[in-house]
Amino acid sequence: MKKIFTAVLAAALGAALFIFAADVNFPIYFPDGKLLVKADVMNRTVYLPVREILGQMNVPYTDSVSLETLTIRSGTNRLVVTKNSGLISYNDQIILLPNPILREDNRWLVPVEFLTMGLSRLTGTEFRYRPGTSRVFAGSVEAPELEMNAQTLGPITRLTLRCAVPIKLDVKRDDPLKPILAIDRTPVDPSRERFDHKDRLLRSVAFDDSDGSSKIVLDITRDVGDLRVTAADNNRVYFVDLLRKGDTVTQVPGLADPGTGTAAKAEFSAADRKVRVIVIDPGHGGTDTGAKSSITTEKDLMLTISRRLRTALQMRLGATVLLTRDSDTALDNEARSAVANNNQANLLISLHTGISVDKVASGSSIFIMKEDFGDKSVVASTSRDQLFLPWYLGYRVHRRASAAAANILRDQLTKGIPDWTFSVRTAPLAILSSATMPSVLIEIGNLNNASSTQMLVDAAFQTRLVNTLVDGIQRFSESAQGTAN
Amino acid sequence: MPRHITIALVVLIAGLAVALGFFVDVVGRVQSMMKNERETEENPFKPPTQPLYAPTDPAVNVKIFFPAASGDTLLVAEDQMIFKSSELANRAKQILQKVQEGPHDASMVPSLPKETKFQDLFISEQGTAFIDFSSAIATNHPGGVLNEVATIYSIVDSLTYNLPEIREVKILIGGVEKETLAGHCLLLLPLELDLSMTNVMPREEKTASAQ
Repeated sequence: MKKIFTAVLAAALGAALFIFAADVNFPIYFPDGKLLVKADVMNRTVYLPVREILGQMNVPYTDSVSLETLTIRSGTNRLVVTKNSGLISYNDQIILLPNPILREDNRWLVPVEFLTMGLSRLTGTEFRYRPGTSRVFAGSVEAPELEMNAQTLGPITRLTLRCAVPIKLDVKRDDPLKPILAIDRTPVDPSRERFDHKDRLLRSVAFDDSDGSSKIVLDITRDVGDLRVTAADNNRVYFVDLLRKGDTVTQVPGLADPGTGTAAKAEFSAADRKVRVIVIDPGHGGTDTGAKSSITTEKDLMLTISRRLRTALQMRLGATVLLTRDSDTALDNEARSAVANNNQANLLISLHTGISVDKVASGSSIFIMKEDFGDKSVVASTSRDQLFLPWYLGYRVHRRASAAAANILRDQLTKGIPDWTFSVRTAPLAILSSATMPSVLIEIGNLNNASSTQMLVDAAFQTRLVNTLVDGIQRFSESAQGTAN
Repeated sequence: MPRHITIALVVLIAGLAVALGFFVDVVGRVQSMMKNERETEENPFKPPTQPLYAPTDPAVNVKIFFPAASGDTLLVAEDQMIFKSSELANRAKQILQKVQEGPHDASMVPSLPKETKFQDLFISEQGTAFIDFSSAIATNHPGGVLNEVATIYSIVDSLTYNLPEIREVKILIGGVEKETLAGHCLLLLPLELDLSMTNVMPREEKTASAQ
């Protein structure tokens, strides 16, 4: 009985150690090369072997076993660290680290903050570390930011990668369920280390540079057939589309394939276009029908017009166009603006129809966000920096550009559909409030007016409307406000 | 029967009698508590409805904003009368009653959807009016962004224009905070006076309340 108890105790202790102390590869990027060290993660604190780092930087040190101290020197400056103490002495000044320094198996282990709080002062080399990441950048190392987003687009799942500088992406599928996207540039600074997506094709996406080379590891399901990689914006943006097995998707939704005729028909080259990514939001959907008439509902009408607008924008502007919904599904406002925000769209257009009590009214409105909405809450947060802005105040950055887009669209629509009137209005609208790009909501026609409804469902009128909207978007794209974003 | 068994039985019966007494007492108390609770439910702590104005209160003109039946101006003001009661909340409630009743003029249409009831009002020290409407304001809404803007600003402008003490209005639906009224207009933050969509010019200086 005693033996069993001892065995269980030993197993529990082992498990606890396994949980609380894990070894990870930790790259430190110096201007003249990189150093891969084994970091110990204990109680969520990253510990690094300091002597290896000092060796790489050619900084002399004295390891005193009897005094249990490590003295690091650079010129006349001196930094002394002591075993099991969070206090370090820099030229006789005391600095308190958040965690103590350890000495285990003849290795000096320092919490990662030691680099930024202690070693930076001694050597003059700046160390940059973001908590939660597994890398440190030293000195003048430039690490362009890398953004990763995933989105389910009908039959495919699209991973969008955006880097501040041009990169090359190489797909390796040695493990069929864990394809690797190797990036030719090291180091890069991913905005997030990993994220779960969990749809039919993709489980998670993780950035990994533990071996010193940047790569993205995908965790995909067995349903995935091909991986299609398309570069855009001079190789700064990559779309990695996961296609289902046996799926014959040749035209990827929302992307003009540069190799086929779609882009060849585009009137403008990618370099000319400033509004590159456009998100169209067909209003309502699912159980939320929106306004109704005897022959149509707002949700169906807007989906039809949005799809036609998508095709026209792809054909004429060669733009990447995404719909917030491509089927009859319900979406909340947050999810709609998230599609635009997460894909870093340059323009968001939400499409709705009106329903006026006046049966003869043919007025349409182009809405932009109300100017001073939420001013008080911003004043409250300006005392700190504006790193964290409430979600519903995203509109503030691009409000001027939104107003410019609305005016251009109003002029174009008035010219293209002279029988109808179009007014620019402001209102505190949920979908516009959180959009971090120029954004407008267009309320077209009047479903309470029989002739207006007949026109809206008419294919020829829809073509005229869509072409007018594309003309307006093109004008906005070429305008000063369009190029500013 | 042996004597000790007799004694035990007597003690047992006495014990049972005492226990029964306790039980009856406890049941009686529980029943009386339940009865009290029911009485409380029937008579909530809410004070009885007070009249919104006294017979001696003078009448004052107010502008109530309603959606225009036609034309480009979204909201048109209609002159109506309320009584200048001493309580700000009572003046606000009278204005909300006027909004709920709808316009007298045929050039305007009601701003609140059918069966919408104004349920409660609270005005904070900072001048924020919290107004609770029945859920019909959302469920019976005809749809359309412009209609929704008209409904909201009919309430906000009618209150803030006539009662400058009310700086902003926060609309609640069915007693709770909602993200939007009927899918479009954000209700998460209180809304302030906006006359840009009305036919009324802003006042130079608003000093008197419902003068």
